Amino acid sequence: MNAIIVSAVFGVLMMFASFLVNNKNVYRYLAIIGLSVLLLANILETYAIWSIKFDSFLQLSFERFGLFFNSIAIAATLFYVLLSGKDIVRVGNYSAEYFVLIFFILCGVSLITSYNSLLMLFLGIEIISIPLYILTGSDKKNLKSNEAALKYFLMGAFSTGLMLMGIALSYGAVGNFGLEGRGVVAFGGSMRVSFLEVAGLLLLFISMSFKASAAPFHFWTPDVYEGAPSVFTSFMATIVKATVFIGMIKLLEARTGIFGPTWQIILPLMIVLTLAIGNITAVFQQSVKRMLAYSSIAQAGFMLFALWSANDMGREGILLYSVAYTLATVGIFAVLVKMKDYTFDGFNGLAAKQPLVAASVAVFVLSLAGIPLTAGFFAKYFMLASAIKSGAGVWLLVVAVVFAAVSVYYYFRLIQAMYFKEGEAEMFEQPTNSFKGMLAIFAVLLIVLGIAPSLLFNYLYF
Amino acid sequence: MSQLVFLVPLFPLIGFLITGLGRNYLSKTATGYIASGSILGAFIVSCLLFSQVYGSGSGQVFTLFHFIQTEGFSIPFAFQVDQLSSLFLLIITGIGFLIHVYSTSYMHEEDAHHFARFFAYMNLFVFSMLLLVLGANYVIMFIGWEGVGLCSYLLIGYWFKNGDYNYAAKKAFIMNRIGDLGFLLAVFWMLAKLGTATYGEVFSQVATLSTFDITAITMLLFVGAMGKSAQIPLYTWLPDAMAGPTPVSALIHAATMVTAGIYMIARSNVLYTLAPFSQGFVAMIGLATAIFAATIALRQNDIKKVLAYSTVSQLGYMFLGLGVGAYTGAVFHVMTHAFFKALLFLGAGSVIHALHHEQDIRKMGGLKKQLPITHITFLLGCIAIAGIPPFSGFFSKDEILMATYAHQPWMYFIAMGGALMTAFYMFRLYSLTFLGSYRGHTDAAHPIHESPLSMTFPLMVLAVLSVVGGFIGIPAVFAENAHWLEHFLAPVFQPSNELVQHTHLDHATEYLLMGISTVLVLIMILLAVKLFGKDDVDVKKDDTGIKKWMANKWYIDELYQAVIIQPLHIFSVLLKNLVEKNIIDGAVNGVGRLVHYGARQFRLIQSGQVGNYLLFMILSIVVFILIWFNDATILRALNNIF
Repeated sequence: MNAIIVSAVFGVLMMFASFLVNNKNVYRYLAIIGLSVLLLANILETYAIWSIKFDSFLQLSFERFGLFFNSIAIAATLFYVLLSGKDIVRVGNYSAEYFVLIFFILCGVSLITSYNSLLMLFLGIEIISIPLYILTGSDKKNLKSNEAALKYFLMGAFSTGLMLMGIALSYGAVGNFGLEGRGVVAFGGSMRVSFLEVAGLLLLFISMSFKASAAPFHFWTPDVYEGAPSVFTSFMATIVKATVFIGMIKLLEARTGIFGPTWQIILPLMIVLTLAIGNITAVFQQSVKRMLAYSSIAQAGFMLFALWSANDMGREGILLYSVAYTLATVGIFAVLVKMKDYTFDGFNGLAAKQPLVAASVAVFVLSLAGIPLTAGFFAKYFMLASAIKSGAGVWLLVVAVVFAAVSVYYYFRLIQAMYFKEGEAEMFEQPTNSFKGMLAIFAVLLIVLGIAPSLLFNYLYF
Repeated sequence: MSQLVFLVPLFPLIGFLITGLGRNYLSKTATGYIASGSILGAFIVSCLLFSQVYGSGSGQVFTLFHFIQTEGFSIPFAFQVDQLSSLFLLIITGIGFLIHVYSTSYMHEEDAHHFARFFAYMNLFVFSMLLLVLGANYVIMFIGWEGVGLCSYLLIGYWFKNGDYNYAAKKAFIMNRIGDLGFLLAVFWMLAKLGTATYGEVFSQVATLSTFDITAITMLLFVGAMGKSAQIPLYTWLPDAMAGPTPVSALIHAATMVTAGIYMIARSNVLYTLAPFSQGFVAMIGLATAIFAATIALRQNDIKKVLAYSTVSQLGYMFLGLGVGAYTGAVFHVMTHAFFKALLFLGAGSVIHALHHEQDIRKMGGLKKQLPITHITFLLGCIAIAGIPPFSGFFSKDEILMATYAHQPWMYFIAMGGALMTAFYMFRLYSLTFLGSYRGHTDAAHPIHESPLSMTFPLMVLAVLSVVGGFIGIPAVFAENAHWLEHFLAPVFQPSNELVQHTHLDHATEYLLMGISTVLVLIMILLAVKLFGKDDVDVKKDDTGIKKWMANKWYIDELYQAVIIQPLHIFSVLLKNLVEKNIIDGAVNGVGRLVHYGARQFRLIQSGQVGNYLLFMILSIVVFILIWFNDATILRALNNIF
């Protein structure tokens, strides 16, 4: 419960800070301090040293898996603010509010990792979504940003409707919101799954797939990701998306049996569609930002495997995937924000001008593509291996691997541009040493996890 | 003490790293000292190990770390120090050290960094060879096996600016790779059937395998030996390998690497004893190679080529010995051959050095005055290889021949013929080089002079060894229980000797055969000296008839070119033009085009209209619900398709 309360408190504190101080750097430092405290508080709870406790009437339950993911999300946000903090305060005039919204999103994240009833899930999803609508439109004078925010809001509202509908149907089936109470009920003398329950969970699953940008509910993703200020795209494409997957796993892991054979058709269908649309469309993009938007859809396709496998290995895999994918994507976006030209050609010749930055980006890209010795390789490996363990068809894995191969094409175009093409890769400002240092730390972390992924898991179960 | 076994390969490895990495900074003197010193260190440790094995009379296995560990099997990185490996350690490091010392003078004309490169390769070679010999399982042996092949390649192509040398290096490497494939398959077979590649475990469990499995494993192992030890049909790389610097020929292509196959089969003697077919095959190939290479050596005019074919021929004898069950004899011959062949090669190197890289014996002659030490030592080497008692070659070759006679008399007579040819071509070589009158051109600026002490010293040491080396294996016919080597190696070959009782010749027959062979060898020597030791020997006339075939190595290279390389070449051109360009490229580009086309189409769905997006989502939900309603039917249909 630490994370929920501390993040909300810091969100409110930051709001007041915006009245009291008028210095963007102070906001940034406050946010960094706040995130550090938040991380510390969450770790204290993870190791059962100190935590705020009050009765949530079984609405919330805190387990190691969720708490550990909280730490990952908070640490990733901290890294993100350390790396891109200066770019966040530069987006518009209301710098403190951006951090406020990020704290509130983290509050939603902590809710989603610990919900024990469908109402709390709904609350968490909404607490995440509404600040995101605002962040998407935060570049007020930019029409594209406004358009993206409106599109996101419209479709988000639609998805919220679906979710509420699903919760209502599900409630109708068993008469309570509790996560434990779902499934088999006494029905006309025999025990079976209520029709309403299936319909309700299906709608819930669909609306969460929307948030996770899994095909065929991904349509908002490219437009919103491209229109939103790049720093915030980075945040919503990584930490938020991973959180939604955690929420889905919590919801469905033990309950896929409710769907019966339907599950065995729609999930592989979604996996294949997501991989195909994400990867194939990314091939054609000229803008790195839009390519990354499609790549985030493609990565979601891999994360869906964790839903299929629904075992411990899948849980470990999704954590590793979150870390690998978040580090790499946040890193690339941080560099992208500083580029004058967002197209692939804008990166031409970066290696000659900024060798360390280019090398780090190369590592990020390699990790996203899943090349061995990077964390991305083991992330993909765990996804596929856990699916095999749960008896997935080999054809599904072959499809996944083929599309991973397709992804190499567009990821490596970035390396090609940076290293093998002549050009003047121009940046708004020379990256500072601390920025380069952070990038290098990201890259090193990816490689360390690529060599010894167990470093992460050793702290999960002990 | 034996815990120090890891030092043996470690010294050359360190030497390799220092000379290799520091090649641009080290002076030639420093390089020479480091490289030779590292081998000397390994030699000293080897001596200690040897004395310990000799004292205790038993071997030991030392596991350094786990190399490969899987569910099915585990392969430790372990060294086995026993009679066989400690003997080979002495040969490798001892002769290796002498050749390193020799090389410091021989290679002195090279630039400092090329000089260091040479010694780095040499040290790496010794390291790999030690790994090969020390490994306690076939996998570690294979690491060394590959390592020596690599070093051989690097050293044959040491003068890499010469295209022919590069070609020779590639040829050696590819021929060896063909053999290595056999070796690898044998190891896989072993792992599949026994789940282990460790010598001790394999040998104790092998009896549980079917005859077919044992035969297949041993035949495949022998394919590896054919490549590495230059036997028919994979021998053609060895004569070409003479492109490398002469010390390389002495160390790698005469004394050590090429005997790896003999070591491997001697190590696996239990397997071969249990596979009579394979063992017979080894004997036949060995015999055929021995005689075939000898006929070619009769008509070669390059001093190193003669020695190269002689090496192939002698290796054939060793395989013959292994094939007829004379394991001790084969190992004995490896040792004496290492002495006298290294001596002969280094002597040849001394001659080549003195004549400023002249290798054609037709342009030599009468060198015994100018090169007295080289001459005497070379002569001793020739006598040793020809097999005159009491020189070392006599004892080892005699042991193999006697075992052959006991096995199959007709094989003995063929082998005897080869031995006579050996005596003839060696003394043809000797006479053309050192006797008669000088036929080359004289250069006043560069007079012919004896090599420096660092080159003649190894010659003298090896000459002494060539002369007396045979006394460790005096046959029972002269003195009972005087065969020291047989007693020493007995524990290694004991399992085989228990399985098969070898018949022993009675002493009268043995005396008779020995006497006849010695007399015939002497006659051949006198004949060769008479024919080629004259002052006015005619070397200009072209060979005709069968002699021409011998001089042209029976046109085997041309045969391989026509029968294997050309068809392969045609086939690969066919693949390139037909399959590669049309089918493979077509498929690859087709997939690329398909993805590109798909990308364009998918992009169109992304219209930017929220209304469209919502419509697509609603349609998808409807489809999902339809799937839900018909899930059982759809799943059945899908299962039928996949």
